[in-house]
Amino acid sequence: MGYKITKKENLSAIDFFMEVEAPHVARSWKPGQFVVLIVDEKGERVPMSVYYAEDGKIGMFIRRHGVTTFKLWYEKQVGDELLSVAGPLGKPIEVKYYGNVVFASDAVCAQAESYATLKAMKEAGNYTIAIQSFENKDNVYPEKFLAKPVADEHYLTTDDGSVGIKGHYLDVLKELIEKDKVDIVFAGGKLGSLKKLAELTRPYGIPTIVTVRQIMVDGTGMCGSCRILYDGQIKFACRDGPMFDAHKVDWDDVIKRDARFVEQQNLARERYLQKLREKGVI
Amino acid sequence: MVRKRPKLIKERVPTPERPVEERVKSFVEVNLGYDFASAVKEAERCLQCPVEYAPCIKGCPVHINIPGFIGKLVEHRDDPNKAVKEALRVIWGDNTLPAVTGRVCPQEEQCEMNCVMGKVGDPINIGKLERFVADYARKHSIEDELLAEMRPSVCGKGKVAVVGAGPAGLTCAGELAKLGYDVTIYEALHKPGGVLIYGIPEFRLPKEILDKEIAKLRELGVEIKLDHVVGKTVTLEELLEEYDAVFIGTGAGTPKLLNIPGILLDRIYSANEFLTRVNLMKAYKFPEYDEPIAVGKKTIVIGAGNTAMDAARSALRLGSEVTIAYRRGREDMTARIEEIQHAEEEGVKFEFFLNPVEFIGDENGRVKAVKFEKMKPLEERDKKGKRKIVGTGEYVTLEADTVIIAIGLEPNRIISEEATGLKVNPDGTLVVDENLMTSIPGVFAGGDAIRGEATVILAMGDGKRAAKAICDYIEKKRKANA
Repeated sequence: MGYKITKKENLSAIDFFMEVEAPHVARSWKPGQFVVLIVDEKGERVPMSVYYAEDGKIGMFIRRHGVTTFKLWYEKQVGDELLSVAGPLGKPIEVKYYGNVVFASDAVCAQAESYATLKAMKEAGNYTIAIQSFENKDNVYPEKFLAKPVADEHYLTTDDGSVGIKGHYLDVLKELIEKDKVDIVFAGGKLGSLKKLAELTRPYGIPTIVTVRQIMVDGTGMCGSCRILYDGQIKFACRDGPMFDAHKVDWDDVIKRDARFVEQQNLARERYLQKLREKGVI
Repeated sequence: MVRKRPKLIKERVPTPERPVEERVKSFVEVNLGYDFASAVKEAERCLQCPVEYAPCIKGCPVHINIPGFIGKLVEHRDDPNKAVKEALRVIWGDNTLPAVTGRVCPQEEQCEMNCVMGKVGDPINIGKLERFVADYARKHSIEDELLAEMRPSVCGKGKVAVVGAGPAGLTCAGELAKLGYDVTIYEALHKPGGVLIYGIPEFRLPKEILDKEIAKLRELGVEIKLDHVVGKTVTLEELLEEYDAVFIGTGAGTPKLLNIPGILLDRIYSANEFLTRVNLMKAYKFPEYDEPIAVGKKTIVIGAGNTAMDAARSALRLGSEVTIAYRRGREDMTARIEEIQHAEEEGVKFEFFLNPVEFIGDENGRVKAVKFEKMKPLEERDKKGKRKIVGTGEYVTLEADTVIIAIGLEPNRIISEEATGLKVNPDGTLVVDENLMTSIPGVFAGGDAIRGEATVILAMGDGKRAAKAICDYIEKKRKANA
């Protein structure tokens, strides 16, 4: 039992990369699907995006953000084991020929999905365009972790312009749309950006498929925690998604529900960081 | 030995319970169970109906030889260890999870409802006696010898995959292992037990006891693969290639939610989410444990089954005032009497004939009240014998900063969506024949996956029946191929 960590590497000021042995997941994982992992006996169940799945291992991009991800960064080293990795979960993206496919990403989970999705799309004969946005140069990933190798066109933006294009993927995408270069958009990352993205592509009628990040427990449709209002109906992000048509999602509700446990998360994080400080780890 | 005609003792020997003021502050078990002396006293009340007639056995979905095991307690009353060992041997013949069923079965509707003593006084306390035998045996290490006896002398009779480590799957796996089959259970969660681990709170079924019951299956050679979602991690088709037969015991795990305004507000939980956070992930120990739970000062639980009672009593223990709101009357509540009583004793309030129509939120998107329509009962009864209800057009609004919806569950469709040949009823339950075989040859199913929403013991009964049918199926296939 247990899932061994085989690689770990820093990606940026906030994100890191981790590879874990999970042959049962790797054998059947497809782009769009996610995993749920648990660090240790006292851990919570956390959904995670997958960067790749090969040779019985899965690679993940993780943000140092809450107790679980801090534990993964500070306590778990190569050779250590995780308590649980379940999956793959959710529905895969439909990989086929669309024409010009964009994957836009502005946060850790989507940066991972960007690579995997575009790789599959390129193999299906599409022209692939990656737009990867970061806040600033400290948050930008090393070259080898970007989606460049699988993108026919690759754009890197930073909010402050410290590296790449100054701006956000929404700005780049707008230009591409005006140049008539976009047949379909896939995206993930910050919920606020996805809401704006939906409004950007809606008037053009460009299909826009995005990851709806919601708080989950089991990840199999058992708890209803990740419910969203989609086309006027209740859907579960874990079972019916996590990728949905951005134009049919009620974004205001999604954004509100995402903040449900902020108080608890902050309390737990502060308590955990205090422990690390006492131990002299940080 | 000539058995003396027993004297009728009409009243039950009571089992002690943890005092209310103590138990509402913790998740430790409420009922303390019998000790040997009081168990024997209660066992002596049993009239020892002949096995072929015994109404209690007929009322039990797994047909435990109830007079048989109770008789052993009386027969060997001078030797507690022997008495329990002999009683446990009788129980295990039909049911390998007595510590569970002794705690969670609705005995008052099954064995105890049929008990002859119940016609003149209190029925025999069968559930608590079953629990006593299981608990005593575990505490005094009596199980090991019996497990050795149960280990099959012939193995390798075939390979069976069981999907889901809940009551149906565990029972099916146990029965097949006893018969000499290689069994592998595939479980989506990181712990086995299904609803027993995520749904039933510690104060009703301590996890430590459940873990030990499941450990017995591993002793019998059952392999449990956790973190495997059949339909995703591995497909049904792949299982059929590797195994001689498959049993689907995936339960009914998808919560029904109310399709009314405000359903997405913060702190409105499905009972499944609430109980999974609390039971499986130990959120009641947050932040010592990482999984959070947010509960306010006033909780409304909607529904009146065992799940509603479990959710209400858990919320109470997390420090909330709790009201159960039910759209029907008191007599229609489906929860076990013992659970309703415990909830009442602990201070849970009940409101009847209230049907939720809207959740009202505050400016932060958090629930602050529930609007109900007042209902009234009619004389006319529905198919289940419950009085029909109609709305009165009058409304009432109750304050609540936490809401838990416990109005029922339906089967999860992950497998049926993936395995296209698997026939499904409109309500999501799997279609099975009289041998519990689905529309795919070699694939059997039981428990809530075929029933919708029922009880632990009915699921176990299905697991047992399916195990027999699976044996027959594999034997037949073998003969046809020979």
